[in-house]
Amino acid sequence: MATSAERPDLRTEYPSLPPQEPPTLRGLLPGIALLAVVGYAGKFVEHFLNTYAKTHHITFPNIEYVLWAILFGVVIANSVGVPRIFRAGVATYEFWLKAGIILLGARFILGDILKLGGISLILVFVALALSITFMTWLGHAFNLNPKLTTLLAVGSSVCGVSAIIATQGAIDADEEDSSTAIAAILALGAISLFAFPLIGHVLHMSDHAYGLWTGLAVDNTAEATAAGALYSDAAGKFAVLAKTCRNALIGFVVLAYAIQWARKGLANDTTTAQLENKAAFLWKKFPKFVLGFLFISLLATLGASTNPAIAVLGFNKTQLLALGNLSRWAFLLTFAGVGLRPNLKDLFKQGARPFIVGALGEIVIAVITLVLVLGTDHFYHL
Amino acid sequence: MASTRSRLSTDTWVIVLSLTLALIVRIGLIKTVPW
Repeated sequence: MATSAERPDLRTEYPSLPPQEPPTLRGLLPGIALLAVVGYAGKFVEHFLNTYAKTHHITFPNIEYVLWAILFGVVIANSVGVPRIFRAGVATYEFWLKAGIILLGARFILGDILKLGGISLILVFVALALSITFMTWLGHAFNLNPKLTTLLAVGSSVCGVSAIIATQGAIDADEEDSSTAIAAILALGAISLFAFPLIGHVLHMSDHAYGLWTGLAVDNTAEATAAGALYSDAAGKFAVLAKTCRNALIGFVVLAYAIQWARKGLANDTTTAQLENKAAFLWKKFPKFVLGFLFISLLATLGASTNPAIAVLGFNKTQLLALGNLSRWAFLLTFAGVGLRPNLKDLFKQGARPFIVGALGEIVIAVITLVLVLGTDHFYHL
Repeated sequence: MASTRSRLSTDTWVIVLSLTLALIVRIGLIKTVPW
């Protein structure tokens, strides 16, 4: 049996987990610089191709920098590999994702969040119930062990890797199961990056509808943001909003599973003790950065007020533009990191059945959420 | 210093950084950010 030292621990790619030895700021800088270089190279290529096509009167589809940044990252990670000196900094890409989401609050006023967030939340509830039920059934049908099935169900229906890690602790699943579930979710996320924009274009979806669909169906927040931004800047914005609503529900899903496993007597002592105070449990699992997003959005809303005394408390238009652009730069680092992440060869070493279950589940969830979004768009004109 | 840093969660750090940036923009130390 492989020891944890021999097996690659994918979780260390996520800064939300405490690393063995917290890297110093100096240790992070090379990797962050690499994220910036790869991301900016993507932006440069997008600009260069557009200018070249315009100057030479060539009709060339606008390929967003997001795709170039991810592709460059994938090529580096799967050819020369990411040298050790860069790894700690590259693993900060989720940090930049969260910073980008908080600053994106400047591009939403609270009314929009309430309207679209409300619609998203209703759709999230419906999609969540359907996808967890389906994934659980699929796991049983493929004879996967119950804990792996639970992790796959949570990962594909709530919010990818963060949800798997949160649930792993609650149901006391072992490392092997969580690594497999994480690998499946990451590999499927990479596929959805290319499949979703294609389907969106074929169906001529609006930015709102496409963004909402991406936010509801793509598992990991980084991939959901990238898949949205690959379609358009506006779609990226709505994908983040829908995904954030989905992420906010993580606590409830983990709590439900923790209670279920505790009733069966399978939860560990820590989880059983934590269940004594359910409000504290929910708060612990709640993604706190969402509060930062709402706060920035509140200041954007105040700034848009027609009452000068209130407007002075918030951001003016120039400041909102600056914050929106800061958010775009943070996302640029994130997209570079999505490509530079652990190489795909390692992800596929974990066996076929979890991937088949994950892939079948993803397809069904994508279809369910697509029908939900198209139906909502038809009746409510998103 | 190091022990304080390790006790804070990623979310805390990300909120502190983002709100600091927002504050810097709000008080006008950064006026424009090109994209």
